[in-house]
Amino acid sequence: MTTREFDGIRLERVREFVWEIPREGEMGVPARVLASEALLEQIGDDKTLQQLKNATHLPGMTGHAICMPDGHQGYGFPVGGVGATDAENGCISPGAVGYDINCGVRMMKTNLTYDDVRGHEEELVEALFANVPSGLGGGGVVDGDIDTVEAVLSRGVDWALEAGWAVPDDLEHCEDEGRRPDADPSAVSQKAKDRGKNQLGSLGSGNHFLEVQRVTDVYRDDVAASYGLEADQVVVLIHCGSRGLGHQTCTDYLRKIEKRHDDVLAALPDKELAAAPAGSELAEEYYGAMCACINFAWVNRQLIMHRTRQVFERVFDRSWEEMGMDLLYDVAHNIAKRETHTVGVDPQGRPVGGGVAADREERELYVHRKGATRAFPAGHPEVPAAYRDVGQPIIIPGSMGAGSYVLRGGDDSMDLTFGSTAHGAGRLMSRTQAKQEFWGETVQDELRDQQHVYVKAQSGATVAEEAPGVYKDVDEVVRVSDALGIGDRVARTYPVCNIKG
Amino acid sequence: MPFELRPHTADVAVAATGDDLGGTFAAAADGLAAATCDDIPDVGDRFSLTVRAEGREALLFDYLDRLIYERDVRGVLPAGNAATVSEVDGEWLIEATARGVPFSTIEARDVKAVTYSEMRIGRVDDGWEAYVVLDV
Repeated sequence: MTTREFDGIRLERVREFVWEIPREGEMGVPARVLASEALLEQIGDDKTLQQLKNATHLPGMTGHAICMPDGHQGYGFPVGGVGATDAENGCISPGAVGYDINCGVRMMKTNLTYDDVRGHEEELVEALFANVPSGLGGGGVVDGDIDTVEAVLSRGVDWALEAGWAVPDDLEHCEDEGRRPDADPSAVSQKAKDRGKNQLGSLGSGNHFLEVQRVTDVYRDDVAASYGLEADQVVVLIHCGSRGLGHQTCTDYLRKIEKRHDDVLAALPDKELAAAPAGSELAEEYYGAMCACINFAWVNRQLIMHRTRQVFERVFDRSWEEMGMDLLYDVAHNIAKRETHTVGVDPQGRPVGGGVAADREERELYVHRKGATRAFPAGHPEVPAAYRDVGQPIIIPGSMGAGSYVLRGGDDSMDLTFGSTAHGAGRLMSRTQAKQEFWGETVQDELRDQQHVYVKAQSGATVAEEAPGVYKDVDEVVRVSDALGIGDRVARTYPVCNIKG
Repeated sequence: MPFELRPHTADVAVAATGDDLGGTFAAAADGLAAATCDDIPDVGDRFSLTVRAEGREALLFDYLDRLIYERDVRGVLPAGNAATVSEVDGEWLIEATARGVPFSTIEARDVKAVTYSEMRIGRVDDGWEAYVVLDV
């Protein structure tokens, strides 16, 4: 058996691209890392594996705690982590969702080709930067008040439709049609609402961006056709989340759960994993608040998409409808969802992991995906009708100097990853190291002159921190996903211009 | 400078020191400001805040969280932090002030939240030190 060891953590190779940390000590289930040898070296280079082991301690963990190919160290639960807990006897953990609830990506199509855009790049990047709020204190597309925030939290993209910021087709191409039915705005604190009301329709900063891209490669013609993608087509990628409202909600519930369920916390190896027992008052409240934040993030991306349509109209002097600027799909990266999965159970019917199951049963689980993407395959009833025959679209952004990918949910995702795959290239280098190794203006100049990628950001430091060399090889991440059958490669895109907060 | 920004794969860590807990926590808050903005001008009006919590770590967490909240609702970056920490009957209290640097005067990034991950607060020979990871 091939084994590898990193800082005393031993992994056994189960099969190609599947590595297992066997259950030991207080681990509730084994852990798995889905990676090539090259990616495993990078994953083992920081505290990702220890955080993954820690995650297995969450009550009611089922199957395996899983690290996706783009996994890296975060706080508490690793980024690129998937953990499914029993929705009846397990728990829900805000730290396993992340502070930026429903941080995610949406892709908007156009019928423009790269030739249509060439020569307009500088005008386009300047216009997008001027019109899409970004950075700290940049405001939002909508000057919100508390009533607006409440409506957004409750109704998601339905609100945007009624307010004229969306069309019905947008809802039909968004997960859950852009509205979480379990949302409970009353469970979101006034503090969170205060933070959110001035940020509705804003990119934020850090790794969030809006990028115009061109389709460079199509790998599955039939699926690409169903998605409306073809080579040389221009698309727009929007990556952002629920802004201060979501961050505050995670913070609020981490602290509430810490105080009320200190007995659960005492058995966990990291305070950032604080978890509310399934069925408890706080578990229900957090789930309702999180779903409301999911709605907020969907509206946030919807407003930015609407503004982007307006910018394209001015730059190209055509209506957005004429340019076919339709939503392909919107995926969440930081989320927990009640989902039904077939899992191994012990003789008493309790979900178990790691090959000790006596039987398999359908169970309702809280599937935590932190820096991971839902990847449901063709035929699954929760895949939107528009894509049910081919599988759910998955959007995996790369860095601003590398390709991004569109995948579709793979047939093996339900068995291997509770219907999940990677969410991006995954960071390789700290921000402090990035600023030592890269100079923002130099990165910008090289991207423009050598790769014809036009970048505009609030500061040079942001560009340096997000330089292409800071990220893992997205091609390798996607190769592993495709080979494992958890997310099948459909198309590759490449940046044309990018704005960052 | 009684704080240092430390590398972290995805986020930013702050290591802070001070003669007492108040000074150490204020230094951590200055680290939060430095993680938000590279160059902070010496402008802005001071404001005060008070935070209570059940323990030392919880107090540092809630204090930094409160500064992030004030940042978003006031539209200023809290800098030049000063604080005193006390404990009365098991409740921990921080009374603090900060200079609110208007966003219009700086180029800043969003620090999303304070985390408990790897948080440490402890005595050292000549005072206190704290370590906190910020989600950026």
